Amino acid sequence: MCCFDESPHCYLLEIDDFTILLDCGWDELFSVNLVDSLKQNINKIDAVLISYPDLLHLGALPYAVGKLGLNCPIYGTVPVHKMGQMFMYDWYLSRYDSEEFAIFDLDDVDKVFDRMTVLKYNQTIALKGKGYGITITPVPAGHMIGGTIWKIVKDGEEDIVYAVDYNHKKERHLGCCELEKVTRPSLLITDAYNMLYQQPRRSARDESLVVSILATLRSQGNVLLAVDTAGRVLEISNLLDNIWHNKEAGLFAYNIVLMSKVAHNVNEFAKSSIEWMSDRMVKSVDDARNNPFQFRSVKLCHSFEDLKKIPSPKVVLASMPDLECGFARDLFVMWCGQPNNSVIFTQRTSPGTLARYLVDNLGRVLSLQLDVRSRAPLAGKELDEYLQTKKQKASETMEYEESSEDEDEISGPVGHDIMVMEEPRRQGKKPHFPVFPFHEEKVKVDEYGEVVKHEDFLIVDGVEEAEKDISDAQEEPEEDMEIEEIPTKCMSQSKILKLNCNILYIDFEGRSDGPSIERLVFQVKPRRLIIVRGSQEACEKLSAGCQAENIWMPQKGDHINATIERHIYQLLLKDSILKDLMFKKCRESEVAWVTGQVVYDTGSTDIEKSDVAEAKKNQPHLDLVDYNLIPSHKTAFLNDIKLSDFKQILGKNGIPSEFIGGTLRCCGGNISLQRLETGKVSIEGTLSEDYFKVRDLLYEQYAII
Amino acid sequence: GFYFRRLNSNGPNMSRRKEAIPAEESDQLTIKPLGAGQEVGRSCILLEFKGKKILLDMGIHPGLTGMDALPYIDTIEASEIDLLLISHFHLDHSGALPWFFAKTSFKGRCFMTHATKAVYRWLLSDYIKVSNISTEQNLYTEADLEASMLKIETLDFHEEKDVGGIRFRAYHAGHVLGAAMFMIEIAGVKILYTGDFSRQEDRHLCAAEIPAVRPDVLITESTYGTQIHEKREDRESRFTGMVHDIVTKGGRCLIPVFALGRAQELLLILDEYWGQHSELHDIPIYYASSLAKKCMSVYQTYVNAMNSRIQKQIAISNPFVFKHVSNLKGIDHFDDVGPCVIMASPGMMQSGLSRELFESWCTDPKNGVIIAGYCVEGTLAKHIQSEPDEIATMSGQRLPLKMRVANISFSAHTDYQQTSEFIRALQPRHVILVHGEANEMSRLKAALIREYETMPEVEITVYNPRNTTSVELTFRGEKAAKVMGSLAVHKPVEGEVLSGVLVKRNFNYHLLAPSDLATYTDIQVSQITQKLAVHYSGSVSTLHFLLLQLAGHVEKMDEVKSSFRVFDVIDLTVDKNMITVEWKGSPVNDMFADAVLVTILRAETLNEPSVKIDDYGAKFEWDKFKDSLVEMLRDMFGEAAVPKSVTKDDFYVTVDDKKAIIDFYNLKVTCEEDLTLQKILQTAVSRLYNSLAPISAIQM
Repeated sequence: MCCFDESPHCYLLEIDDFTILLDCGWDELFSVNLVDSLKQNINKIDAVLISYPDLLHLGALPYAVGKLGLNCPIYGTVPVHKMGQMFMYDWYLSRYDSEEFAIFDLDDVDKVFDRMTVLKYNQTIALKGKGYGITITPVPAGHMIGGTIWKIVKDGEEDIVYAVDYNHKKERHLGCCELEKVTRPSLLITDAYNMLYQQPRRSARDESLVVSILATLRSQGNVLLAVDTAGRVLEISNLLDNIWHNKEAGLFAYNIVLMSKVAHNVNEFAKSSIEWMSDRMVKSVDDARNNPFQFRSVKLCHSFEDLKKIPSPKVVLASMPDLECGFARDLFVMWCGQPNNSVIFTQRTSPGTLARYLVDNLGRVLSLQLDVRSRAPLAGKELDEYLQTKKQKASETMEYEESSEDEDEISGPVGHDIMVMEEPRRQGKKPHFPVFPFHEEKVKVDEYGEVVKHEDFLIVDGVEEAEKDISDAQEEPEEDMEIEEIPTKCMSQSKILKLNCNILYIDFEGRSDGPSIERLVFQVKPRRLIIVRGSQEACEKLSAGCQAENIWMPQKGDHINATIERHIYQLLLKDSILKDLMFKKCRESEVAWVTGQVVYDTGSTDIEKSDVAEAKKNQPHLDLVDYNLIPSHKTAFLNDIKLSDFKQILGKNGIPSEFIGGTLRCCGGNISLQRLETGKVSIEGTLSEDYFKVRDLLYEQYAII
Repeated sequence: GFYFRRLNSNGPNMSRRKEAIPAEESDQLTIKPLGAGQEVGRSCILLEFKGKKILLDMGIHPGLTGMDALPYIDTIEASEIDLLLISHFHLDHSGALPWFFAKTSFKGRCFMTHATKAVYRWLLSDYIKVSNISTEQNLYTEADLEASMLKIETLDFHEEKDVGGIRFRAYHAGHVLGAAMFMIEIAGVKILYTGDFSRQEDRHLCAAEIPAVRPDVLITESTYGTQIHEKREDRESRFTGMVHDIVTKGGRCLIPVFALGRAQELLLILDEYWGQHSELHDIPIYYASSLAKKCMSVYQTYVNAMNSRIQKQIAISNPFVFKHVSNLKGIDHFDDVGPCVIMASPGMMQSGLSRELFESWCTDPKNGVIIAGYCVEGTLAKHIQSEPDEIATMSGQRLPLKMRVANISFSAHTDYQQTSEFIRALQPRHVILVHGEANEMSRLKAALIREYETMPEVEITVYNPRNTTSVELTFRGEKAAKVMGSLAVHKPVEGEVLSGVLVKRNFNYHLLAPSDLATYTDIQVSQITQKLAVHYSGSVSTLHFLLLQLAGHVEKMDEVKSSFRVFDVIDLTVDKNMITVEWKGSPVNDMFADAVLVTILRAETLNEPSVKIDDYGAKFEWDKFKDSLVEMLRDMFGEAAVPKSVTKDDFYVTVDDKKAIIDFYNLKVTCEEDLTLQKILQTAVSRLYNSLAPISAIQM
């Protein structure tokens, strides 16, 4: 568990001998130290719970599953599954576009999502095997579609709530989190990331976005909005699509584009996930038959080819938000020099990323040395060399195959997820042409087919040069990453960029801010609290505002023992004892004072099957006790009232009252009520009928047993 | 203490004991069809258990109009219904809902799935328009429908909801988009209501699920009774084969369908078939229903409620965006020039577009009509299945029937094979049949009973109640409380007396010590401190004397400020002309306080006492007690029971020749012959003592 910094969410929770991994995030820079401890514990993990579909919460999963061999059930909601896959595809493809990327590949991503068990909100799943007795329930968290607060309950009593990055505010496309519905969990694990931060009002935020977009477009500049792949982008794109549609905003004439490797799929999934969104979105479908993600103005782009066709000035929502890779980085490099362009960041990414550096130093960075990376097709001499090698290898392979046809694997490259000038590995036993090996690939049907057609994205600029080499392959879109037909190489060039454009940060993170976190945690009243992720100051502030029995702020790698002695047993209540009880209502429950005697043998009242009766014999029963043996007990007043509520009750009974310095006074100031501390109320007055009247009303607010 | 019990538990309990068992404690589960009992249509079933009332579905009868079409709602009190669950959007399951919201005192909550709600909106709106034309008697208006939309809450499949202790979740039921089966759990008893369901997966819907938990009661539909359906592959190939045959021979193919439900399935089949047969691409497929067009967006949106095949396909292209099917606004827009396929409503060709097209095409043997759904007796669709030579048109004219007629049922209701397998997998103890014609239903009942005849180890009872007839089942629920916290520190020992707060919430019980309440529940233990100011102008010593008389012992707290404590809990402070009385509120303390207040008021009216103040009040007069006891016992058992010569050291009673010895100073009664007598005497002695002895002498 880690705290006091901004590393991604990734925590181990051990319940008895069952280990749950809470989220499996990675930062945008693939920090090695983050996965080191994961590596050490990988064999211990029995289940993984994922809260949100972004890098911060599941970024390390492909690596963990594909490369570390994580082999246990992974749980997430339906949208987390769908959008999570989109996040990972986009991340991989964006990285692959500019560098030799070998940390994980698309097969690893698919492995993760094949393994994931999808859940609906409030669907309780009982774990099996070693986890017997543990149930998990996803509860709406806001922030991103499918976002989850996890409720983990052991034996029906010990409840652990894992809630990070939730949003208590309703947004355009999402409802709010339901953390308030959780009361008094035995353990709350939450973050303090936003504790010291107070959000601007939503309307102010939206307005500042529109104003800066409009200003830029009117000065014939382009706007780059750095957004994520499939999370917060839904909120921003829906907002902008609506603003565009609104004639008064005056944006109708300009173009707006959503650009990522998976924009189409994200949009399709959004359209079919309306039931996971806010009531407003659902209403729009139900009443107006208008799918809010059927964009009216926003266009989808998957490449620069597509983008070129759209005339400037335009607004482009592009991934990735960290500017470390992806279209957003390329656009930034292209556009940052012109003073009439704007770059708007919508979320804070990990420290160390380009976007974060710019956000933290708004207005202070004038120029920047940056590696401009790209993947280019081979040409000229390099291409000749490649063809030469290829020819050679092909003939070698042919010779080789004559002797042993089945072991063509050996001739392939070793690091198969690195796709450079290498020979295709998989060659069928097809007849070979004298010059180039011809092989007819099977068209593989992937469940997310279109996404993995890398050719669409990869070769746009160099189709012609490469055509003669790969014409066969192009006709049949091959979706398997292992087979890479286009000879390409990665180039990196250090450039100094002058930052002349406007750079802004407008918060569209959709997380609860400090005051709300404090209020929520206070409301939830956890018995014990673990604070993760946040600066030291933030964690301490949160801890100061909470009245839990124990509060921990673990450092990275710390091991917390949050077990408490649990005393619990089951007692069957005999009808004889139940029928005399007089229950009184108290909040959501009913309460009664009960006194009884423990009896073990139930006698022969049960005519049920023998084995059932046998099991029951060992269960203690509570039966009536002799009248004289009933000990007396101190009367208990149950419930806790607020004086403001009581004021209204007085009012309803015709007794006017007013607050003077925290005391509630009524009956001409003769009677005053004061709330001293939690659960303590004092009533003072002069001897009068009114006093007893008020007291009776006060007593009515309690269940007195 | 004695007072305490009097005040708190005894009084009310005595009267309560005589009452009948309240509904919430009763073990009886009542299931009463208010509609769909031995009939098809107006589904509405009342469940009653532990004081909770639930309605399942709120349909209208398609064959009846106005108030007659409603279920027997007048036999229940709508305001008492806690929960209403709607299984799917068909009129016979949801058609009376706007009426129920608008015209009854119902104030419970209502749930359905997202897709059901979305389609419900348009389907009922269409129904209102249609019935506006045909009848004057309208159950509700468009405004009522809009209002109902605000009250309907949605739930997703598998999501668990809890409404005041009723826990329920929806399972996929197949049948139509959004159709749900509900598993309802009240106090540990589980009831599964299937609504309409189909265990056969089709092109866009999944098969009805088999819930992982075993229900105690299964309420199932029985539309098809003991019939068995044709295999899906067979009927699909028969269907596409026939369509292909008709259009390639230059004919027109009419498929009368109900606008929503099966129509979408047929469109998927046709669109796919056309996709595979390029030779058919010139032949248009039309669907002519504005309602279906309206609801297409619903089908395009709620793909999560469909099967995995559709969900995988959506990533590539939405299968409900048809490539070969076009929409037809009405007959005026239709250019009848050559072979085509038209799907038109209504499904039974009572009137409307399907009827018009049928009449204009029926004389040509090249044309064909395919009846794909369930047909009611008396409709044209049912009539032509008997292959008559002539048919009557709407205008009364008679036309020869030469076109081809085929009946290929795509009805997504369970058949006998599916129902039987479903029951076998779930093993419910009770099966209640609804939603089926009386004959089909009794055949199904008989078949099910026969099936289990040879298996005496399986306990299964089948019921087929009529409307408003209830099935009453008894479930002996074991009530178990979880003991937690300080009460549970050690395991319970036989005979141990446990005492604590029993917290009941949603049929769950917890037994806790008051101090643990805040830890384990949201209930807080509170304290009320009270302070009363009373005018007092008398002397302190008078007050002191009277208090002594009252309480037997007065503790002086502060000599200078003259403050006292009596009964160990009431504090008095005398200050000038004012006395403040302070105590912690509780029934006992309040009573003490009342006594103290009376004493203060009395002291004010008295003069200086002549008696010297000492511990006068604290003495207990045993002789007086003896006399009283003798008197009481003589009252109880007669003059002879207590000998005249008894003394305090040798005190006995004789009742029915049984002798009971009373140990006077220890207040202990022994009677070895008769324990009941001993108990009676013991109670009498201690009660008398408690009422005579000064409070300070009694151990609280």
